[in-house]
Parts: sequence; structure tokens; C-alpha cells
Amino acid sequence: MLVLLFILFAGLAIGCAIALVAQRNPLYSAISLIGVFISLACLYVMLAAPFIAAVQVIVYAGAIMVLVVFVIMLLNVEQEERRRSRLGFLVPAAVVLAAVLVAEAAFIIWFVDKSHATPTQNISDTGLTSSIGSALFTKYLLPFEITSILLLMAIVGAMTLARRIKEIPAGAAVVPGAQVLPLHMFDRSVPLSDTRGVEAYGTEEVAEVLDLPDDHDLTKRD
Amino acid sequence: MDWSTVLDIILKFVAITIAFTVVLLIVAYTVLAERRVLALIQGRLGPNRVGYGGALQPFADLLKFILKEDIVPDKSTRFIYFLAPVIATMAALMTMIVYPFGPETSIPFIGTIPLSIARFDVALLYVLGVTSVGVYGLALAGWSSNNKYSLMGGLRSSAQMISYELALGLSLIGVIMLAGTLDLQKIVEMQSAWHGFRWIIFLQPLGFIIYLIAAIAETNRVPFDLPEAETELVAGFHTEYSAMKFALFFLAEYINMFTVSMLATTLFLGGWNVPFAEDIFGRGTFLFGLVSVLGFLLKVIFFLFLYIWLRGTLPRFRFDQLMNFGWKFLLPVALLNIFLTATLLILYMSYSGSR
Repeated sequence: MLVLLFILFAGLAIGCAIALVAQRNPLYSAISLIGVFISLACLYVMLAAPFIAAVQVIVYAGAIMVLVVFVIMLLNVEQEERRRSRLGFLVPAAVVLAAVLVAEAAFIIWFVDKSHATPTQNISDTGLTSSIGSALFTKYLLPFEITSILLLMAIVGAMTLARRIKEIPAGAAVVPGAQVLPLHMFDRSVPLSDTRGVEAYGTEEVAEVLDLPDDHDLTKRD
Repeated sequence: MDWSTVLDIILKFVAITIAFTVVLLIVAYTVLAERRVLALIQGRLGPNRVGYGGALQPFADLLKFILKEDIVPDKSTRFIYFLAPVIATMAALMTMIVYPFGPETSIPFIGTIPLSIARFDVALLYVLGVTSVGVYGLALAGWSSNNKYSLMGGLRSSAQMISYELALGLSLIGVIMLAGTLDLQKIVEMQSAWHGFRWIIFLQPLGFIIYLIAAIAETNRVPFDLPEAETELVAGFHTEYSAMKFALFFLAEYINMFTVSMLATTLFLGGWNVPFAEDIFGRGTFLFGLVSVLGFLLKVIFFLFLYIWLRGTLPRFRFDQLMNFGWKFLLPVALLNIFLTATLLILYMSYSGSR
């Protein structure tokens, strides 16, 4: 029974992991990654570590991947074109490393001495919430707190990067809705069939964005 | 696999079937109750034609949903478009297995059984985890429909749920500190002292209010229903959905209301504890179990009524108000609640010697 469940979830995890790298659509990749996380959580449950499983789902599948999906949706990333891999020389190295990994696993399975006495009952309590909590807040208190400071640094760094450099004057109102204008209106070298747009609040701003000369006559183009 | 294991599995399946049937029936009648109560608030009659006083309206609605044409938008991402309502409904239903509906009860011909489907060490974290997966249903529905309004609705729902999940989780930490466990059954049994009246709401009033507000936001109900704001976004993330797929979203919303109410009842209102029931009927008897389950359902139905009441009386937030309220008010207050609870708990423990 347990072996069947293990094969099911391990197979699911591996399948999702392969789909994650094979998919061209970033959203499909994100969904595959969620599948990997949830299968891993199921495996943790089978290893008698329910707390880690729950945290895996809450933190990775429930928070981080929501943000990833959110960003993909917000930027509306299109399907990536199939193109030649730029990894070239890394491919043989990857194959060699994968072979080493498989060899290691085979070595462990075949040559390491297996004890014939199987445990009759799982009496370990290391995976339980209470033991994890007491370990985190007594024995590993300092590493735990240092990790949280690390996260705080990351937040401060992100805020520093995202901070607006120019101060917005208090009287300025936000222009309701930026204009989206076709690119060929502003650049003659762009063919009319090109549907790309420029987002801006006014034509001067568009000219500034495209670095066009000031005497560029917009009216001569029909 | 021996005989007792098989019997155990069969019992679990029966329990799941009964629980799901009861819950789905209550959910169906919540929809009817919502329409009737809203009509009462707005001085109308509401649906009262099908059956006695509209009692068969939910089934008429279901029949209508099944018979409607199922329209799929041309340029939608088909696989995800079909997957999204399934994720939403499944995540809503999956949390149902951990709630204790009643105490251990001796039932004629079967023996003493606990009136809950599953019991494990991290039940509360399981509920939070599965609920947080539910947001994908809404977000993916918005993205795959290939519709601006749907996309906006999906984005809004994910932003809103991320923001309020924090306050929701933090509001529960006070309860966890008081109970010292994540096991929902132990939390309920802790509240059965004082003749079944030691409800955590008396010890955690602030946490209860924060939880209630955050839970309404999590379920996308009025006044936090921005993901499906009719006046701005047509119908939000489910604009392009029709027939049974729309019904699944509809169902998921009401099941979510139900599970959130069950969690509020379990954690704050004493779960299945009915005051003085244990003194009258005695622990473990069939009648005690029956009264406890009825008490539990009554408390849940009170919360459902509260939801409908709020919908009838409150206007909708604006999006910046929503974000400011969540991040700048609810989150600091939740942290303050944790701080207060910890301080009082330490003072209490140092005076009484132990917990």
C-alpha cells in the first residue's frame, strides 16, 4: 500500500518536474512546479513529517507560486518561441552528471548492506510540530533568528530598488489611463503591420521615449 | 490488508459521503436563504414559487445549470480553462475532512466512533494550506478566459487573497498559543470546560474580529467582493464561464463560506460544545452526540446568516482602501494581538506555576 502510494507521488513529482522544463508556456511551467511541490508534500506526509508537508504547501504552493503566477499574469508573458538551446557545452556535462547520479543511486540500492529487521512501528516524533518547535526555539534559536534577519535584509533591499527616485509633487494628479499608441505612428522605419504599442501620457513623452527629433512631423503620415 | 482495515476504509467512505451530502445540502439552501434574506432586507419577496415557499428552488437552479449551453471562448487556453473551476471546488471541499462535527459518540449497531472524518497533528495548518491553494482556481480562470475583465478579476483576487491570508494566519496564532496544539479536536475539547462554555472567543475577542474580517475577504464576499465587482468588471474572473462550470465556481464560493464558518466555530465558538449538554445527557451517549452536532451546525448557520446580513447592508470597498485596510490596519492589529496574548500568557503562567 505504502509502496504504491510512494510510486504514485514520486512519479507525479518526476513527471511534473519534466513538464516544468519541457513546457514553453511560462504559466504551464508554473503550474507544473506547483504539482511538484504538492507531490513532495505528500511524500513528506508519508515520511511522518506532517508539519514540513503543511509548511511546504502553505509557503511554496500557497504563497511563493501565487506571486509567480501573479507576475506572469500581470506581464502577460507570451509563449516563448522554440529556439536553439544556448547551453551548448553544458549538455554533455549534464548527461555525465546525470549518469553519476544514477550510478550513485544504483550503488546505494545494490551494495549498501540492507538490515533484514524492518521497523515494526514508527515511534519517531521528530516530524511532529511540538518537537520541531522546541528544537527551533531552544537548540537552533540563533540560526533561526539569523535566517529571519536575512529575509528582512531581502525586503529592505527590494524596497530600496523599487523606491521612486523622483518625488511626485503633492499637487500632481495621476493622469487617468495612459495612452497606448501604435509604434509606427512615431517611427517611419517600423512597418505598418507591426502592432506593437508605446504606452505614454502624451505625444511629447512618446517622442522622448523613442528618442525622436523635436521637428518630427506627425501630421505628414496618414 | 485484513478485514478490520477494509471495514475502516468503508466506514471512512461512508462518513465522507454523509458529510459531503449534508454540507452540500446546507450550501444549496444557503443560496436560497441568501436570496430570501436579501429580498427581506430590500423589501422584496424573493424566489417563492418552486415548492413550498421556494423550498425546491436550489434543485430547479441545478437543473437549469445542467441544461444550459456550455460556451467556451474561442481563444481561451482550453486546458487551464477547464482545470480552474475544478481546482476551486476541490480546494474548497478538501478542507471539510478535518473538522470535528461532534464528540466521540456511541451509535447503535456500529459502536463508538469519533464524529469527524480524519484526525491529524497539523489539522489547522492543513486547512490553511488547502485554502491557500484555492486561489489558483480564481487566478487561472481569469487568465485562461482571454478577457480583460476576467484577467483583472483574477489579478485582484490573487492580490487580495495574498494580502488577507497574512492577517488570517496571524489572527489564529493567539488561539494556537492558548491551546498549545494544532489539532482541531484537542482545541475543541479544551473549550468544553466550564460546562461547555469556555469558548476561546472570551479569551481572544480581538483575534476573533480580525479572523472574521480576514475570512470575509478570503471568500471574496461583500464588502470585499472586488474580484467580481459587477459595476467595474462585468462578473470578474468568471465572466466567460457558463453552465456547469459557472455553477462550480458558484458552489466553491459558498462551500468556502461554509468552511470558513466551520473554522470560526471550531476555533472561537467552542466547536460542538453546547453549554450544559454534557451535564444533562452524559458524555459519549447518542443524544449528547446528536445535540452536539446540531449545536455545531447552528453556530455555523449563524455565521452564514452574518455573511448574508453583511451583503445586504454594506457597500463595497475601493481597491486602495482594501489594500490600506489589510496591510496598514489589520496586520499590525493582528501582531498586537499576538504580543498581548503572549504577554498575558506568560504573566498567567508565572502566577499559577503552570498552564
